[in-house]
Amino acid sequence: MCCSAMHQLTGLLATNFGSPSGVTTQDHYTRELWRLSGYFSVPIGLIVLGLITFAIVRYRHRPGEDRKPAQFQYHIPIEATYTIIPLVIVAVIFGFMYNAENHVDKVSAKPAVAITVDGFQWGWRFVYPNGHVQIGTADYNNINNNNDLPVLVLPSNETVQLHVVSLDVVHTFYVKEFLFNRDLIPGINNTFDINVTKPGLYPGQCNNICGEYHAYMRFLVDVMTPTQYAAWYANQPACSITTAGVPGIQKGSCAAINAGADFTGYTQAPKG
Amino acid sequence: MTILEERPQFAFEAHEASLMEIVPGPRPHGIVKFVTSTDHKQIGLNYLFTGLAGFLVAGLMALVMRTQLIVPNNHFVTENVYNEMFTIHGTLMLFVFAGPFAFAGFGNYLVPLMIGAPDMAFPRFNNLSYWLYLGGFSLLLAGFLTNNGAAQFGWFGYAPLTEAIHSPGPGADLWIVGIGLTGFSGIFTAVNIITTVFTLRAPGMVMFRMPIFVWNILVTMFLILLAFPVLTAAMALLWIDRHLGGNFYNANKGGQPILWQNLFWFFGHPEVYIIALPYFGVATEILATMSRKPVFGYKGMIAATLSIGALAMGVWAHHMYTTGAVLLPFFAAMSLLIAVPTGIKFFNWIGTMWRGTIVLNTAMLFCLGFLAMFLFGGITGVILAQPVLDFQLHNTYFVVAHFHYVLIGAVMAGFGGLYYWLPKMTGRKLSEKWGKLGFALLFIGFNLTFFPQHDLGLRGMPRRIETYNAGMGWNFLNELSSIGAYITAIGVLVNAWNIFTSWRHGEIAGDNPWDGQTLEWACSSPPPDHNFEALPPIRSERPVWDANHPDMLTKVGH
Repeated sequence: MCCSAMHQLTGLLATNFGSPSGVTTQDHYTRELWRLSGYFSVPIGLIVLGLITFAIVRYRHRPGEDRKPAQFQYHIPIEATYTIIPLVIVAVIFGFMYNAENHVDKVSAKPAVAITVDGFQWGWRFVYPNGHVQIGTADYNNINNNNDLPVLVLPSNETVQLHVVSLDVVHTFYVKEFLFNRDLIPGINNTFDINVTKPGLYPGQCNNICGEYHAYMRFLVDVMTPTQYAAWYANQPACSITTAGVPGIQKGSCAAINAGADFTGYTQAPKG
Repeated sequence: MTILEERPQFAFEAHEASLMEIVPGPRPHGIVKFVTSTDHKQIGLNYLFTGLAGFLVAGLMALVMRTQLIVPNNHFVTENVYNEMFTIHGTLMLFVFAGPFAFAGFGNYLVPLMIGAPDMAFPRFNNLSYWLYLGGFSLLLAGFLTNNGAAQFGWFGYAPLTEAIHSPGPGADLWIVGIGLTGFSGIFTAVNIITTVFTLRAPGMVMFRMPIFVWNILVTMFLILLAFPVLTAAMALLWIDRHLGGNFYNANKGGQPILWQNLFWFFGHPEVYIIALPYFGVATEILATMSRKPVFGYKGMIAATLSIGALAMGVWAHHMYTTGAVLLPFFAAMSLLIAVPTGIKFFNWIGTMWRGTIVLNTAMLFCLGFLAMFLFGGITGVILAQPVLDFQLHNTYFVVAHFHYVLIGAVMAGFGGLYYWLPKMTGRKLSEKWGKLGFALLFIGFNLTFFPQHDLGLRGMPRRIETYNAGMGWNFLNELSSIGAYITAIGVLVNAWNIFTSWRHGEIAGDNPWDGQTLEWACSSPPPDHNFEALPPIRSERPVWDANHPDMLTKVGH
């Protein structure tokens, strides 16, 4: 407990102002922007708090004191100053933000890998170009059980394009380490690129209320080196299904799986 | 300047309510008065205390949520109950408490008094507004009595989760109708108050002599007229989808679920300012009175309120950055710009305190609590206004922490308003001792609850999850947050006890306990029917101060 608190304190004092590190190339822009916001907002916050504190200490009414309050109302130069300076700050932040946004939101015409991410109540389905499908099941009685989660396998250091599709209600694809959210909305096609620089296993989760078992709509991202990924991908037969890392039996035709038409075996009934 | 100096001194004292003599016979009281009264003061009190009841109920739901989240993998309540809790918590807090408490509660009670009017322009219409509002509140609660339970899709109820196939049962319908009724109530109140402000001002009360509170309520009312009908329309379309075979939000039949988000947030963001602006007004009045000074930059303050109102209509899609379906730079620029008039207000508040003689009583402490918490909520707002950072933090606990700081900041000002104006409404002051204890508990409790949630969001905890995995690094912060919620609950009880006991046994307030500046302090406490028999001359925005302190008139120029 104490160490957790200490860790937070040192985290807050570091230049990242408490923001975690991401593992993608876009992370750089997000954190630059976060830092910039910190450079402006921390001093502004301290100045305003300082002025308020000074005013209530210096000008508080003391018992027995016979000081008359000043009765001024306007001071145009000061008022103009605290209108113009914030306008300039906001313009600067907007400029940096605009630049960062163009990098983060850039969608490549030729991604190395393109994967379709289907979200449904309450699970995920990751469909690879050859029709291979990764699915999983959630343990609705024990959220500490990570064994049967669907796994999104990605190569590192490559531009991966994710096409996110909702099969029922609004969901959100969210991986904390990617510092990124994108909604899955019926009727809207959303595509975004990520380039993960650090191989590893990252937890992901639906980030938009989607019904009863929203909290259990989790998945794992397994980022492999490009060589490992190529070997893994070569081992996945077209239109095969892997449930929580365990190869399963193909159900329905390849086309039906890709169209999301054959749902047998995908929807997840609560265990137990 | 010369006019101010040469005007005849107004000798004013408390007047007895001789208007009572015009209408002879017994006056209604108790439940009959509550049901039938068209008096703006009675209706204002009805709103204030119904709003507080909503706050207590919604607060209990928050305690259920925090108890569920205190440890990982908890099974204190089921998923569906948890989903009901956050949905109705949010809905009650926004549609029953935070908004109406200020714009209809304080608004009804104070606007006619502050502009020297005998009542609202349409008193019976006013009564109807209250009953629609109470009806809405009841229907929102009635959801819990239905077989499928209350609505379970969050207070902004994104389609298509709200469609009949995903959310069957009458709970969702009661939610739709309940919000619809509070919406109509708000629209009617807006029509009423706008008419009152434009037509019933006392002689001398020109627009630029109205208290800032009245200005803020006026701008709020225009926002209501622009925003609430859109919400009502969105709800009507949802009803048609659910019951009459419509497909407005059904993508499978050519509808657009994103339409709901646009319509809802076109209401939803102005709603934030519909909630906040009246509290800004409350805080401004308290700060000026307790500093014994005029509002610094009065006209700049009004300009800031107007620009917040205008910008508020053009920022709705900053709730939708991650949909991939909105023009990011436009909404980012508009959202960032709101920081400028909000900043002006902060510096005006500081200017109002500057070189005053500040009385640090409970009302003022709550006001300072508002300044501190709202400042922090404003800063995190600037962070979230940037789409790239919102991509990271969208729908995480960082957002939950952000808007609770904003809203609780506002509500802090509201509690300050209770300590400030209840003496006018009841004739008795609240206990300062209990008040300061209540403030300390609330301030510590709120911060302990919501400050750790910023870090929870940065650590990736999504909002509205019923439970969480023990290995995510969220356990300690959730524990802290839940302990904060329990402290907050004790603080609420202390304040409720203070209001309850002071109502009958509090120190007699007198007409003008705080050396107030605006017209409500010119009549007795509580004010008689139809408010005023005589008014002090209105030659500035603080006529009562001018009459009481002819030696301390506002200094012109600088």
